[in-house]
Amino acid sequence: MRSFTSLLCAMTVASVVAGPAHAETAKTILFLAEDVPSGLDIDGASASITTSQTGMVNIMEPLFGYANKGVNASGIMVPDFSKFEGRLVDSWEFDPKTLIWTLHLRHGVKGCTGNEFTAKDVVYTYQRGKSVSGSTPVGWFLANVASVKGFTADVFKNPAARTLNPDEVKAVDDYTVTIAQSEPNALFLPVLTIFGTYIFDSTLMKAHATDKDPWAHDYANNVSPASFGPYCVERWEKNQEIIFKANPNYWRGKPAIDRVIMRRVPQSSNRLVILRTGQAQLTQNLTPREFDSLRGAPGLKVEGVEGNESLFMIMNFKIKPFDNIKLRQAIAYAIPTEQIIKTGYFGQAKPWHSIVPSIYPGYAETPTQYPYDTAKAKATLAEAGYPDGKGLDAFHDSFQLTYPAEKESTVGPIVNIIQSALRQVGIPATLNPIPLAQFGDRTLVKRDLPFALNDYDKAIGVDAGYTLQLFFVSPSKGGIANESDYSNAYIDETWPKARVETDPAKRNALLASMQEQAMKDVALLPIVEFKTQYALSDKLTGLSWQSDSSERFFDLKLQ
Amino acid sequence: MGRYIVKRVAVGLVQLIGLTVAVFFLIRLLPADPASRLVGMNPSREAYEQARHQLGLDQPLLTQLGAYLGVSSSGAGLLEGDFGTSWVTSSPVGSEIATYLPVTLELVTISFVIAFLVSVPVGMVGALNPGRRSDKAVFVYGLFAGSQPEFWWGLLFVYVFFFTLGWAPAPLGSLSPMTSPPPAITGFLTIDSLLAGQPDVFFEALQHLVLPVATLVFVLSGPIVKMVRQNMARALRSDFVLYANCAGLPPARVARYALRAAMAPSMTLIGILYGFMLGGAVLVENVFSLPGIGQYAVRAVLAYDYPAIQGVVLVITALSLVVYLGIDLIHAAIDPRIVH
Repeated sequence: MRSFTSLLCAMTVASVVAGPAHAETAKTILFLAEDVPSGLDIDGASASITTSQTGMVNIMEPLFGYANKGVNASGIMVPDFSKFEGRLVDSWEFDPKTLIWTLHLRHGVKGCTGNEFTAKDVVYTYQRGKSVSGSTPVGWFLANVASVKGFTADVFKNPAARTLNPDEVKAVDDYTVTIAQSEPNALFLPVLTIFGTYIFDSTLMKAHATDKDPWAHDYANNVSPASFGPYCVERWEKNQEIIFKANPNYWRGKPAIDRVIMRRVPQSSNRLVILRTGQAQLTQNLTPREFDSLRGAPGLKVEGVEGNESLFMIMNFKIKPFDNIKLRQAIAYAIPTEQIIKTGYFGQAKPWHSIVPSIYPGYAETPTQYPYDTAKAKATLAEAGYPDGKGLDAFHDSFQLTYPAEKESTVGPIVNIIQSALRQVGIPATLNPIPLAQFGDRTLVKRDLPFALNDYDKAIGVDAGYTLQLFFVSPSKGGIANESDYSNAYIDETWPKARVETDPAKRNALLASMQEQAMKDVALLPIVEFKTQYALSDKLTGLSWQSDSSERFFDLKLQ
Repeated sequence: MGRYIVKRVAVGLVQLIGLTVAVFFLIRLLPADPASRLVGMNPSREAYEQARHQLGLDQPLLTQLGAYLGVSSSGAGLLEGDFGTSWVTSSPVGSEIATYLPVTLELVTISFVIAFLVSVPVGMVGALNPGRRSDKAVFVYGLFAGSQPEFWWGLLFVYVFFFTLGWAPAPLGSLSPMTSPPPAITGFLTIDSLLAGQPDVFFEALQHLVLPVATLVFVLSGPIVKMVRQNMARALRSDFVLYANCAGLPPARVARYALRAAMAPSMTLIGILYGFMLGGAVLVENVFSLPGIGQYAVRAVLAYDYPAIQGVVLVITALSLVVYLGIDLIHAAIDPRIVH
């Protein structure tokens, strides 16, 4: 008993004397995250996880980026999607006759260990992508979407096709690279801004290659994806924290923040209270209610951007009764958008008037819209052959509105609103939360979810064509994220034309007609676009937003 | 006694082998495909097939089992101590378990020791004073502490002791973000910090353990108090206690005899609870951002990371069997009839 008392006393005294730790020093910030990267290889198993992407984009460097447009009303720097700027590329030319991009690379760019960036690093990165040696061939996929010559599906069947040929990507000299396209495709530059095309430091990567792992996937996944970005990995304990230290050699200058400690705090309520005490400087992925509670809190600010995050409903075209267009339209009219914005997002969202993020080039507000109108919903339901919902009970399983269980705190209130609204017009919706991994499997691979709500899938390639290709072209024709199993001849025929159209006005007209077609069909039901929000110390400035929603630590400044 | 131990270990090994094979097949019945989680951003048919091939899921089940056990020519396996590589992190599962398990063992062991030291005297006080106020208070405490979920207490403790009073450190894991952990020797932060000659880190680690340990102690002490109180009360009503009282033995000695009789079932409960808490501490780990084995297990299950799930189940089962064996031995020492 005495030993227990002594231990308890020692523990209590220690806690009282030491008090809370003070994380903030002059140039270090503590970033509280829902998770920390579980891998950092762009072709690795974690590539599609946002927190892993946050690590990649701060360690690696792209060939191209978007110029800054300015600071929005909330204080966040937003990109100008109409203006590309060279990052590792100093200048570039495109020859429309030969479809060859000539990239003049920046001189004097150095990675964390002092290796200098040259053309061999670009060639290495594309050869690595074409090798499809990682568990998820993201590098190959993006090059394929951008129509980079040689990056066809043949690489999966034919090992010989995995070798990069000089007529595809070639180092002309140390600071000049040519990349050829197989067809004109306006997605080339947008795709080359995406994290999966960022450039490796080939010297360091080759130094960590092994016979079993010649492309150093293990090194990238467990140590660092060697590159030329603003930060380097100082310490990384998976499942706990990753510490980024500034790359003193970074070509845009040494970052203003010396160290960024990204610490895993899975409970959003704990992230909130720690931020409120001033021990951390930045967090995200709080619930809309929690963000709302922080507005006006002393020493803190909540910043948001109308980016590319949205809430949409999936109604599977191949599963009855959702093959009935009138039923889909009836459901569309029954969704109380304003109530969802008010209750689910505390006003930090807006109605979505197309199926492409409204800030993306090529977005068009479609003539067809489905404003909330219960009378019209009931009338359309009757036209569908189910007056007052009679006959729909036979489809009990189909009306299970499925959503990721991990999203319960944000989507939970919204699915309840939708369920009530649907029941009001006679649609017998029930709720079905399932694990996120199962949700992804059933929406993206099996495509067998009849009825679902999704608030996390998005196209990070900033272009309406990119979104339309992934989400609306038939799965058999490249629509790999076509979650409704939607298939429409007009869209399938128009996309190949739009993809190679070189006149921007004509291309936008084709993209607008595709958006209208998908809206008419309710290919997926767009509900709202909600703000991507961040809570941060009022001493932290310079927060910027990119389409992957990962923070760029280089832009941050601590007052 | 030696024969008893050998028999118990042999039974434990058979259980372990059976469980290994059962888990291998059972997780393949989970309602999702791990390959589809991997392809995420590029769920094309080619990428999906590539992922299945990389994971070995395109092989027949028995071939996969052979590779897992290490009896096929594809490389090292379980029989050589290789748990495989995580499909999420690409790190060896064995080294990940070696990192996360000590965090949970440290938390759970300290909590159990304190819960035991608190609960036994409290339960005895209740049993020795039947019907009195102290007995009623013990009864209410046992009911109250055991019936509340640990995550709720954890969040409440964070709010009160960290946010409101500022007494406890932020729920940021085992150490403050500004502190470098000592080199991992045993994996137990308290021990490694002492081995590295860093008493400041040792005290900081203790400081970060206060709230999670307090949460677990509070929750665990409920059932232990109830068990000790009931068994003690039963023992106090038994013939040998009546005889001891009649023989004029001092009350303290009688209480000691009764406690010995009451401890056997209580130890069984503690053993079961300990085995359960190795995985069941996940809620407390989650609230306090502790990177323990429970969190690792949950992540593995949610990501359909088969090698990690298999590794965690195997290790926790092995540990539970060791604990049960230890409890059986203690039980046998308390009550030698069990050996026979």
